[in-house]
Amino acid sequence: MKRSYHVVAIPIRIVLNSFGDHNPNGMMYVLKENEQKVKEMVKKNPFSPVDLVQPLAIRANEGDTIEILFENKLPFNTGIHFQEAEYDVCQSDGANVGLNKDSTVAPFKTILYRLHVVKEGNYFFSDLGNPSSGENGSNSNGLIGALCVENRFSWWTDPETGKVLNSGQYADIHHPILPSFREYVWMFHDEMEVDDLTGNRPINHFSNQEEESFHGANYRYEPENRRQQLISEGVVCPNCQGEEVHHDSWVFGDPSTPILRGYLGDPAKIRVFHGGVKETHVFHYHVHQWFSDPNDLASEIFDAQAISPQSHYTIQPLYGLGSLHGSFGDAVIHCHLYPHFVAGMWGMNRVFNTLQDGTQCYPNGVPIKALLPLPDREPPPKPTKLKPGFPNFIPGKVGLKAPRPPLGIIGGRGLTELERNAAIENPRPGAVFTDPCPEDAPVKEFNVSLIELPLTYNKEGWHDPTGRMFVLDEDIEDICSGKKDPEPLVIHASAHTCFHINFTNRLPHILDGDAFQLVTRTYEVGMHIHFVKFDVLVNDGANVGWNYDSSVLPGETAQYSYYADVELKAWFFHDHLFPGAHQQHGVFGSGVVHPRFSKFLDSETGKEVNKGTQITTSNPLIPDYRDFVLFAQDFTHLFDKNGKPLSPPPFPGSPDDPGLFGVNYKNEPLQFRLGKECDPAYSFSSYVNGDPVTPILKAYEGDSIRIRLLQGAQEESHSFNVHGLRWLKERGDLNSRLENQQHIGISESFTMEMHIPRSGDYLWAFETEEDLWNGLWGLIRAFDEKVPDLITLPDRPEPLKRSKPLPVCTGTKPPPAEDPTSAPIKGPIRYFDVVAFQTSIVYNSFGDHDPNAIIFALRKDMKAIKEGLKNPEPLILRGNVGETVEVTLTSLLKQELFPFQDGIYPYPIVKEQAFYPPSLRISLHPQLIDYDVKTSAGETVGFNGDQTVGPGESRTYRWFVDSQVGACGLWDMADIRNHKSQGAFGAFIAEPRGTEYLNPYTLESDTTGANVILRNPLLPDTREFVLVMHDGVRLLDKNKQVIFDPVDGILLASPEVDEDLLDTYDQGSRGFNYRSERLINRYQKHPMLHDLFSSKVFGDPATPLLESYVGDPVTIRLVTPAERRRSHTFHLHGHRWRFDAKDSNSRTESFVGFNVAGATRNLELLGGAGAYNGFPGDFMYRSGNIRWDIEQGMWGIMRVLGELKEHLPPLDQ
Amino acid sequence: MSKPNESQPINDIREAAIIKHFRKNIEKRVFILTEAFPFMYIGKIVNVVEDLVEILVQTTSIPALEGKTWIVHIHSIDVFYIETGVGAKIPDLKD
Repeated sequence: MKRSYHVVAIPIRIVLNSFGDHNPNGMMYVLKENEQKVKEMVKKNPFSPVDLVQPLAIRANEGDTIEILFENKLPFNTGIHFQEAEYDVCQSDGANVGLNKDSTVAPFKTILYRLHVVKEGNYFFSDLGNPSSGENGSNSNGLIGALCVENRFSWWTDPETGKVLNSGQYADIHHPILPSFREYVWMFHDEMEVDDLTGNRPINHFSNQEEESFHGANYRYEPENRRQQLISEGVVCPNCQGEEVHHDSWVFGDPSTPILRGYLGDPAKIRVFHGGVKETHVFHYHVHQWFSDPNDLASEIFDAQAISPQSHYTIQPLYGLGSLHGSFGDAVIHCHLYPHFVAGMWGMNRVFNTLQDGTQCYPNGVPIKALLPLPDREPPPKPTKLKPGFPNFIPGKVGLKAPRPPLGIIGGRGLTELERNAAIENPRPGAVFTDPCPEDAPVKEFNVSLIELPLTYNKEGWHDPTGRMFVLDEDIEDICSGKKDPEPLVIHASAHTCFHINFTNRLPHILDGDAFQLVTRTYEVGMHIHFVKFDVLVNDGANVGWNYDSSVLPGETAQYSYYADVELKAWFFHDHLFPGAHQQHGVFGSGVVHPRFSKFLDSETGKEVNKGTQITTSNPLIPDYRDFVLFAQDFTHLFDKNGKPLSPPPFPGSPDDPGLFGVNYKNEPLQFRLGKECDPAYSFSSYVNGDPVTPILKAYEGDSIRIRLLQGAQEESHSFNVHGLRWLKERGDLNSRLENQQHIGISESFTMEMHIPRSGDYLWAFETEEDLWNGLWGLIRAFDEKVPDLITLPDRPEPLKRSKPLPVCTGTKPPPAEDPTSAPIKGPIRYFDVVAFQTSIVYNSFGDHDPNAIIFALRKDMKAIKEGLKNPEPLILRGNVGETVEVTLTSLLKQELFPFQDGIYPYPIVKEQAFYPPSLRISLHPQLIDYDVKTSAGETVGFNGDQTVGPGESRTYRWFVDSQVGACGLWDMADIRNHKSQGAFGAFIAEPRGTEYLNPYTLESDTTGANVILRNPLLPDTREFVLVMHDGVRLLDKNKQVIFDPVDGILLASPEVDEDLLDTYDQGSRGFNYRSERLINRYQKHPMLHDLFSSKVFGDPATPLLESYVGDPVTIRLVTPAERRRSHTFHLHGHRWRFDAKDSNSRTESFVGFNVAGATRNLELLGGAGAYNGFPGDFMYRSGNIRWDIEQGMWGIMRVLGELKEHLPPLDQ
Repeated sequence: MSKPNESQPINDIREAAIIKHFRKNIEKRVFILTEAFPFMYIGKIVNVVEDLVEILVQTTSIPALEGKTWIVHIHSIDVFYIETGVGAKIPDLKD
């Protein structure tokens, strides 16, 4: 079916909340039919939000062809680029890329775009006519939107009126066969320009400094600062502090941000998009859970899910609104990154239990808009005087904090008459309006308290004097007296458990002030939980909307009740009243829901336990396993042993990335692990420095283990890597891909299940440079023989009696690792002779270069590189399944060629810079393939032998390609400060058995190189392109001046550099495969924003040109070996691939999110080059981060040729 | 059910043998794994009707489904073990 829309891009004033905060230079896409109306309404309401000012959301059905007549009324060229759709790239790309015809539109001109939408799902769209990231850029100012593609034969109506809907963020979707559902578009976006009522940047009324940047959804935000001002000015809630009532509608009325309304049990889809330009956010939705891939029942269950710029997913809450147990009330939806939450990035899902026909009011007198019941569902009962429905039975007072729930607090109140009418038959503490626990569910009781005590993070005395943590009451004395080492509280139970929690607030009323934050009255706290089922009104451990405030004052005890219905992962808990103030001090914990019938044992004594970050689990039906829990932390407020604050913010209370990092209240910074010889190559060695204080996860060779990965605090992305082990991405799905890296944001939870094939020390690490530098790493230690402090897994054979003593710290250089080549060879063998040396790399034709790069290369190529005949590319090695690969590495590093002899790089920097002299040793560590960590991990870790090589030395690693994992990163582990971001990385590609690799231009055999043809007797010839996405590069320009990217690369930059631009983890240049096509260079030559990607104007970019013919099978191998914590989205125009290449049920998308150190992905393009419709032309591949990646050169071109060209032989099919 | 003979396809023979085995073990406890939800269950064989087995399910991964009689298509079972008294005992699982 053909569907037509007339879309106009207009300038518009966007009022972001009812406090009058606004963007005077906003821009939006709007349907032509609404253009005049929205302009008039904005004119009449200059300081109030206008409903029609919202990101454009339009709809179509799977299989439709959509014609968009696009009209540009902005003063520069704009366009609409649609992700996921298929289209003629020369006509409908909404950009001016390569040799294509320009499909952006000049001011006051029009263009017709024609799109084919192949699959149901989320199609994000945005402008690429103006790719600048600054205040004048189009994306940050609102030129973004959503196309929701529904199942075939669907139609949609307005939820209030039932009329047909042409556009809008909320719709009811109907289908002749499938159930109707509520559809909500949730568009995160960030970094929008904001002025207050006076036309100035908003000021934080508490600190008198400029407010945190904009973080909102659907052109709205509701900052704590604004609401708190009403308290401080005495308008509302005189005794409140601020954060604890930030989401309280009793105090402030409803927020301006989205409220997704529905009735109990309604099926729903939340179309979540990230239309922002910079940050990775975490979408969290209280009470509800969903499949990570709605069409794949074997996919992971989430209730918090990260999202990086220009990516998206659909959330289909399991069991509909209110979840399995039918919990009505307000479920807050928010970005879990606290500075963003505090800045206003939240809204809620309001689940009514009575019919709303427009005649009812909220307690503050605001009318409740009508909401039609879904036509195929029983309408809810009409409200009556005795049963008025949510929220009108709650005995709150407008202008004051929400009331405490009935029954919940020991010594608290009972139910009012209206509450009794609304309650279930037998209300009990923690389950008043719905009871999540089935009658026969076994009850497990935990007495939990929140306490304050100093926490020491490492042997150097770095400490948090106001640490705060959850503890079991029976452990308080032992922890406070120092008998037990503090660790985050982890409680354990089996599925089908009804939890009874007695939660006591033992915190002081006041969180003290220091260099990091101002004195804050954190006088009430709650225990908010994820994943488990609970009554949201009384049990949320939070204070949201028109719900109760389910927290307690100091000395009080709340009784909560939850139910774990099935085996869940580690469920996260934390305080929801003052998390912005104190979660980074340690206020987080977890419960692990194990398979039913499990027993939990102390791993040292074998006695039954109910808590611990490291336990042993025994189960009668499945293999027994070790269970380990790791929490990543950032914004950790640490002082050194002399009381000096470490990495304090610019002023107390600033959200500008204060503090350092931790894992389970510990860290092991590398600056203290140089040893006597001052060689970074042995930083991870326990021979030189002893074991780290961070968790050492203990097991025996052959054990099954589960690592529960969580992030407890507070704002940033982290990249968890395990070296030498791997797990199924979707734990319950044998068709899932193998991984050994996981991106994580706060509140996310992942379970990695694996077994340990051999003894040895395996490194786990949060592996971006700054995390690792500041100590986020530890070991998995697999013993070969019995040790006294670790029981055997009950279903595993007893390990052999110890025949040799365990190794100990000697303080000296570790012994060399054994030679792996003496063991028998499995399968055919492939040899590589690799050298590591220093050279210069030219990153683009404008002369940007790295004169001090370190690269890996085949020895045969070294001469040409050194003589400047060959510009280096990252080393790409290949091998086939079933083959043994031997790589001999030789170090040719020279001391004098390191630019900073003390290892302190003036730019880019890391937090807590310190002396770390360059190592002349180097190593080569591979991901995902199989090897013995004691000989071939390419690193010197724990009590494993030395696997690095010094100048002139060689060492051979032996790897076995046991699985067709495709892309694997390769990198140096000898010196993470002086080698990796300088280029010491590459990739290994594990190909199908029997594959040959051909140079695509000469058709000669070629095992290395980023661009090859794969020829396999059983598979079609396939073009393979390896893209190595990397950042944190120190480049010099043609005048040998340091390039201070990202700042130096900003187009239309404002003269004053914002301090926020200088976050350590944004620093440095970036690109693909040692190349970067920085737009600023092009702009200086030809200052037309919409032409910056044009090869007609500038020639092709320096980044790899991926050439193919229409219909050629294409696989892109994407690896991100280095280096910074900012996560990048990858997007290829006009093409899609299965999210999980191994899983035929996987959703198909055109982006890959979360590209941070260690990320890998194999993208098999559906329909081959040019996609199913076979369109030739130039398709851009690029980062999805407008700020600060595309400008800084993270883009390139995939050229799909429609006609035979002499230089590129066709595939032999 | 006809006796196996040489002209019968091997799958028919196998299926008939499985049905026979279930019928022989009515009243015994059985442990079953299936590819489909709910993947694992333990119960008592109550009856066998054609190629359907009636099982009183004592334990499965979803507690709400326990204590009920299920009619299961025998050939949708991927793995099973019947407690005949000869091999290991199927554990009695309690929360």
